[in-house]
Parts: sequence; C-alpha cells; structure tokens
Amino acid sequence: MNRALRRISIAVLVMFVLLLVNVNYLQGFQTASLAAKPNNARAFEAQFQYQRGDIVTSDNVTVAESVASGDIYKYKRVYPRGPEYAPVTGYATLYSQSAIELYENSVLNGSDSSLAVRNFIDLITGKQRRGANVTLTINSKAQNAAWNALETSTGGKPGAVVAIDPQTGAILAMASYPSYDPNVLTTHDGAKLNAADEALLKDPGNPLLNRAINFTWPPGSTFKIVTSSAYLTKNPASTPQTNVYSPTQLKLPQTTHILTNNDGEVCGNGSGQTQLLFAFAQSCDTTFGSMGMTLGAPVLNSFAGMFGMNSTTLRIPMLVTPSNYVIPPSQALTAFSAIGQYSDTVTPLQEAMFAAAIADGGKLMTPYLVKQVTASDLSTVQTTTPTVLSQAVSPAVASDLGQMMLAVVQSPEGTANAFNAAAEDGITIAGKTGTAQNGANNTGLDDAVFTCYAPYANPQIAVGVIIQGGGYGASAAAPIAVQVIKAFLGK
Amino acid sequence: MSSITAPTPAVDPDHPPVPVRRGRRGTELTMLAFAFALVLFAFANVGYSLNGRLPSGLAEYMAGFVVVVLIAHLAMRRWAPWADPLLLPLAATLNGLGIVMTYRLAAQGNLLSAPLSPSATGIQILYTAIGVACFVAVLVLIREPRVLQRYTYTLGAIGLLLLALPALLPSSISEVYGAKIQIRLGTFTIQPEEFAKLALAVSFAGYLVAKRDVLALAGRRVLGIDLPRARDLGPILVVWAASLLLLVFESDIGTSAVFMGLFVAMLYIATSRTSWLLLGFVMFVAGAFAAAKLFGHVGERFNIWLHPFTGLNPSHNAYQLVQGLYGMASGGLLGKGLGGGQPYITPLVQSDLVVTAFGEELGLAGLMAILIIYGLIVQRGLQAATSVKDPFSKLLAGGLSFMLALQVFVIVGGVTRLIPLTGITTPFLSQGGSSLVASWILIAILVRVSETARRPPPRPIQDEGLTQVVTLR
Repeated sequence: MNRALRRISIAVLVMFVLLLVNVNYLQGFQTASLAAKPNNARAFEAQFQYQRGDIVTSDNVTVAESVASGDIYKYKRVYPRGPEYAPVTGYATLYSQSAIELYENSVLNGSDSSLAVRNFIDLITGKQRRGANVTLTINSKAQNAAWNALETSTGGKPGAVVAIDPQTGAILAMASYPSYDPNVLTTHDGAKLNAADEALLKDPGNPLLNRAINFTWPPGSTFKIVTSSAYLTKNPASTPQTNVYSPTQLKLPQTTHILTNNDGEVCGNGSGQTQLLFAFAQSCDTTFGSMGMTLGAPVLNSFAGMFGMNSTTLRIPMLVTPSNYVIPPSQALTAFSAIGQYSDTVTPLQEAMFAAAIADGGKLMTPYLVKQVTASDLSTVQTTTPTVLSQAVSPAVASDLGQMMLAVVQSPEGTANAFNAAAEDGITIAGKTGTAQNGANNTGLDDAVFTCYAPYANPQIAVGVIIQGGGYGASAAAPIAVQVIKAFLGK
Repeated sequence: MSSITAPTPAVDPDHPPVPVRRGRRGTELTMLAFAFALVLFAFANVGYSLNGRLPSGLAEYMAGFVVVVLIAHLAMRRWAPWADPLLLPLAATLNGLGIVMTYRLAAQGNLLSAPLSPSATGIQILYTAIGVACFVAVLVLIREPRVLQRYTYTLGAIGLLLLALPALLPSSISEVYGAKIQIRLGTFTIQPEEFAKLALAVSFAGYLVAKRDVLALAGRRVLGIDLPRARDLGPILVVWAASLLLLVFESDIGTSAVFMGLFVAMLYIATSRTSWLLLGFVMFVAGAFAAAKLFGHVGERFNIWLHPFTGLNPSHNAYQLVQGLYGMASGGLLGKGLGGGQPYITPLVQSDLVVTAFGEELGLAGLMAILIIYGLIVQRGLQAATSVKDPFSKLLAGGLSFMLALQVFVIVGGVTRLIPLTGITTPFLSQGGSSLVASWILIAILVRVSETARRPPPRPIQDEGLTQVVTLR
C-alpha cells in the first residue's frame, strides 16, 4: 500500500505544481493583458487613484492639472486656459484621452516604465504616488496672441496658427479655431459627460478638430517657396536677381485655359521678363506656373517632400495629417500645382515648416511639442533632443529664398508690405502670402495663408497661419502672424 | 497497580533507555505563536489600510481565536501527545486568515456589492469554536482510528442520507444559487455534503480494507484490466453511482468531481492496481463529456472556462470568474495589501472565490504561501498514512489527504482558470460553518492517525522471561 501511497503523493505534488505554475502565469505574466480588458473595473478605477501630472508651458503656465474631487475617483482634471490650449492638451475624461493627454498618458498617470523605480521608492517611503509633469514647448505669450487673434480678428472664421522655433523645431504656439472647453468633459457624471460629448460631436463648427495639424487647405502662393527652391537648386547659376519668364497671360498646353495673375495685373514692366525676386514679391502666378511646367511635377514633388510634405509618419507627438503634393496628370495642371493650387494641400503646421526651413539655412528641424517630462520629485525623466527632419535646400538657396521672402514684406511692391519693419516697431519679418482658391468652381471665399519668420537677421520664430475663407493672405492671415511674432519677441 | 503503570524514570545501567521519541508539543506551541502573530498582523494590516488605525474589536476577535486554538492544542497535549506538530499550526493559520478576510469583506464594500454583515467575523469565530469542539470530540472519542472500521456500513448509510437530504427537501429550504446543497434552519444553513464526504471516505476505507484482497485478486481479466467480481464491487459501485447521481441532480459538479477522485484514489491505494486509475480516468472523462452534453449547466461551465471574456457584462455567467481573474491580476506579484484591493467587486468572493481575494491583496507571493500551507497539510497527512501500520488507518489518512488536495486543486484551479470553475468551498478560508467544521474534523482524523503512527511502542518495564508487563500510559 505504501508504494501506491507514494504514487498518490507524486500525483498530489503534480497537482500543486500545476496550481503554482498557473498562478505564477496569471499574476506574473497576464497582469497587463487582463488590466487592459475593457470591462476591468479595478484597472479603470485604479487610473484615478493617483494624482495625474500637470501639463505646463515652457514658461511655467499650468494648462492642465488635477485637483481633489472628493468622490471615488479622487481627482478631477482642470484646464485653467480652456479652449486656448485645448488643441494642445486635449482632454482626459473618465473614459478616454486626446492630444497630449493621450500621447503622454502613461507618464501623466504614472504607469510608464520609466517611472517604475520612482513609484517603487514612493511605495517604500510611504509617499503618495503621483504622475509625472509634462512641460510643453509652447510659449504662453505666443499662444495667447495666436488664440486671441483667431478669436477676435477673423469674424469667427475657422483657422489655425502654428509657430515654431526654426533652430530646434520646438512648437511655440498651436491654436485652432473654433475650439472647445475641455473642462466640460472632465465631469465624473457619466450622463453629463455623454451629453457634453454629444454636443461637441454634433457642433457644426467641429470644435474638436485640431485644424493646426489635422486639417488641410491649398497652400496657394506660399507653395512658390517650394517652386523657387527647386528652380534655384536646379539652376545653380541663377540668383534672385536673375530674369525669369513672366508673361501677363500664360497659355497652358493642351487646353484653352489661360493662366493670369491676380486681377489680370501685369508682372514687372510687362516685357515678359522680370527678376525672380520681383516676381516672388509680387507673387506672379504666370512666372511660377511656367517655371513649374519647366521643372516638371516629379521635381516639385521631391522638393515638396524635402519640406516635409507627403509624410504620413510625422508626429509631434500627435500624428499630423499629411500635407500632400499630388503629381498632376497634365502639364497644364502642373502649372497650377506649382502655384499651390490643383490638389496641393497643407496644414498650418506645414506652412510654419516652410518658413522654418528657410530661416534655419535650409535645415528643417522635426517639430515637437513636449520639451521634457519631470517626475513628481522634480527630477527629469525625459528631455526631447531636437532632430533634423531633412535638409530641404542648401544654405545658399535658403539665403536666396530669405532675400525673396524679405522682399515680400519689406519692398514697396511686396504683397505683405503693410507689415514692413517701419510699421512693426522695427521687427524685420520675411514671409510669403497665399490666397488660395478652393473648391472645384472656386466657390466661396478664398483661404488666406501666410508663412513667415522673424527677425530676418536672427530668426527666432517661424509662423504659419491659414484662415478658411479669410480672403487675401496679406489682409486676413498676415496680421495674425505678426501679432504672434510681436508677442513672442516681447514688442 | 499504580506503581506499575506510573512512568518509571529510574535508569537501569544494564538496559539503557530506548531513545524516547518526543511528542513535539512544545514545537507545536512555538509554531502556533507564529500563526497567531501572522493573523494578528493581518488583522492590524486591514485596520490600518482601511481606517488608519487598529480595527475595532481586534482584541476580542484575536482573544477568541487564540483561546479556541489553544484549547485544541491543550486537547492534543492530553489526548494526542505524539501527534504531528505541524497539522494544528497549519490549519490554525489558514483558519485565522479566513477570519481576517471575513473581517476585511465585512468592513468594506461598494455600491454593487454590499459588505458582509458586521457580525460575520464573530460568527466565523463561533464556527471556528464549533470546529475545534468537533476536533476535540474526535480526539476524545476515537482513540484508535481502527474503531471507525466498525461503522463502515452505518457511516455509508449516513453519508448517503446526508447527500440525499437537500434533494429531498423542498427548494425553499435547500436551494442556493441554483444548487440544492443546503439545509436552512432559520438564519443558519448547513451544507450536509461537507460531512457526507467524511462519512463516505470512512465508509469507503472500511469496505475497501475488508475486500481489498478479493478486489485485487479475484476476477476476470478483460482487455488487460483485472475486473473484480461483481458481488465484491457491487455495493461500492452502487454507493458511488448514487452519490454521483444525487450530486448531478443537486447541480453540484465540483463536489461530485472530488468524490470521484477520492473513490478512485482509495481504490488504487487499497489494491495498488494501476488499471483502476486508468479506468477511473476514462470513466471521469466520459462522464464529464456526457454530463456536458446532457445537462445545460455542466456544458455552460465548460463554455465559461474556454471563453470567459466573450459577452462582457455583469449578467453574463462568466462575470464572477472574470472578476476574480481581474482581482488576481490587479494584485500582481506582491498584492495590494490587505484592505488595499477591491475584492468585493467579485460576486460572492467570500465563499468560492476567496482565493482570488487573497491573490488580489496578498499577491502572487501570498497566494503561493497559502498553496504551500495546503501542500504541507496534505504532505503531513500522506506522511502519517505511509508510516501508520494498520491498513485501515493508512487508507483513511491517504484518502482524506488526497481529498483535501483534490478539493484545493478543483477550487483554486477553477478560479485561476486551470480547469472549469465548479463551486466548492475552499477548506478553512471560505466564509461559512459547514466547510470549516468538516475541515477541522478531517484534521482531527489526520492528527489521530499521525498520533497512532508516531506513538512509540509500549515499553517493557519488567523483563522477566516471556511474560512482560508493559505500560500503556
């Protein structure tokens, strides 16, 4: 009988080993996958048991914080600047997050692996665990100017502003209009949350859309920066002073359509030849339409790509909707694509990137929104190191383009001459206006576009602005960019 | 006679004393001190975690628990001095942790799951007292495990009656969550199957010991398997089939699985024939398959086991299992700490799923410790079975130890999704009286068998030829 008993003992041992292995698998290896199940109430409530980290601007203005709520979720999210920062911060509701709240969720809620050691030390020392703080690259003065300008000066037209530090790619301002107040979504009352969410989703103004990075418009004449870059690169002997073909009317091949300049005006002195600088400052469509046909669509496409267009992977950390250059099927449409029409589309961020690349000697820095992540003990967890996205053009070409953009604002015939240094407290701005026709039959008002950087001699800020249906770029978009520049430079 | 029966300390230089095996009751007391400290610490932990101070009633609860367990210890000093010193401390630790968990679940709940009644902790300690009273009664009444063999048929009949009782009674008295397994007397309920298990185990042991030779030797060989004669196997087969049928009728699959395993294991221990294990396994698989096809609630258990995460809503049948898994997952390696988790989210966590509550609050580390405590109890029981000489005691201790192991395997394996979840109680840890009392009786029988095994042989006090006078204490 003892032999049988020993065998039974072995069977018992096997049973217990199976149990031990299984609980090890369950509690050692399956915890993450089980915590991620959608109906796991424990994991859901656990998110709210710790104070979520703050989101602050680079100049230490708190734009998102968690305060004691006194209910089972312990903390409630508050956005002191509401709609102004909504495109940046996004929201953190009971059920979901967006924008920075989403992309930096794991550091904000403290679950990120980079915080594990600090959390463990907090556990041992009995300190209340807290999420890490996220410091944005946003400058509160530039952001405030951008938001106020969008809210007040456009008459409620949708649009967006992005400002970038050309030397690093740090995003200094990112405002979108219309916006929403994320505070309405932080309620802990499920019914109220659903109602607020539904109201925002049904709002015809689509306030949840971040137009700065997730909506595109035709770039209009601002695309002439790309066309000129391609021309100057492919013709190394040419300079801004080189004469280029600039007819009053450009007959397009294989069509009866004739391309004219704005209001049919004459480019230069009407001789059909004018300086590149002059054609750029006056924004002659015939010059650049012809230039685009000569260069060819593939060349324009490759230069558009060098400036960051056609990228489906750009993240700031939010995924940016691609700005596209589509190779046209005919020469005639290539002419339109060279002046920012046809199927060219850009985000306001892309507009800022055009100017930023020229301002930084042709070197385009990757735009980013998070400067650093700081743990609750104020130690730095992560710091963003600026990276080069591409060398869009050579420094020489960038310098030529800089001169041309300077002429747009500073020379008497420039389209944005109203904002010359004399008018703007001595700030020397270089830029390019765009007035984009939209829709198949050019219905509705033109979209106003402006890209610029300042100060010309020592670029510190590049701004892109698009106002939907704003009309002329110089009259609707440029004033907003100028206000942002002045606020940022402290003038 | 008194001068003869009294222990004689005098040392005869010609006959040095046989090395005396010590009773190890002092060791037991030391181990009990650890058990008490552990339970006290756990209690304090709950209070500090929930309210930031020592729990109210800590002194009363601890005093009650300690006194009851010390009575068990003193009873062992008096009536089972040679018994295994580990069984009582191990059982007391588990019982204490069960009381602490009851207290913890009574102290906190949420909107969906109300906390247990505030009196639950006191009642659980009362059940402990009743359990220990039965423990002491077994030690006092059964001085030799052999005497139980006399009641083979009586206990078999009692076991069957206890099993049948809830099925015969009206549902209003016997039904609980779809299973007819209890008898309700006012506010108290008794689950007779817990006691039926013990009675039938004793009955099986008595019958198999009497018939083991004929079962092993007489009979025909069919397909390489030695089949016993029908008249030898008949009675036991009837008991087994009847119990299974009753359990299926009462919708209590977990217990029927434990019965089946107990039966096969004892048959194997008695006859040492591997063919029995094979036969038992085949019958079990076939039976389970047939049951899954025939009875909706059995098939559903399999479905829940295989697809627990489909249909995620509170009314779905897998909700309890899934919440238990979530609880254990949230505990992770070191747990949330007693009072730090949310075990109350899991429905009825205090009974069948109590292991998940420990997994959530004590973590993988604590749960493994609990499993190892069970493993040690089973190991001490099997050790007693191996070393005891009398075949009946051997079979009884072996069978009961295996039954305890199987019960832990079925419930812990069930809640951790190793096997389909079938609701049975977790020995010592689940809230409720019947299981706790029955577990204490089981431990008492193991203690008695181990005492018999470890008791030193009678020592001669006179050495005068063939006739010896021995001391029987």
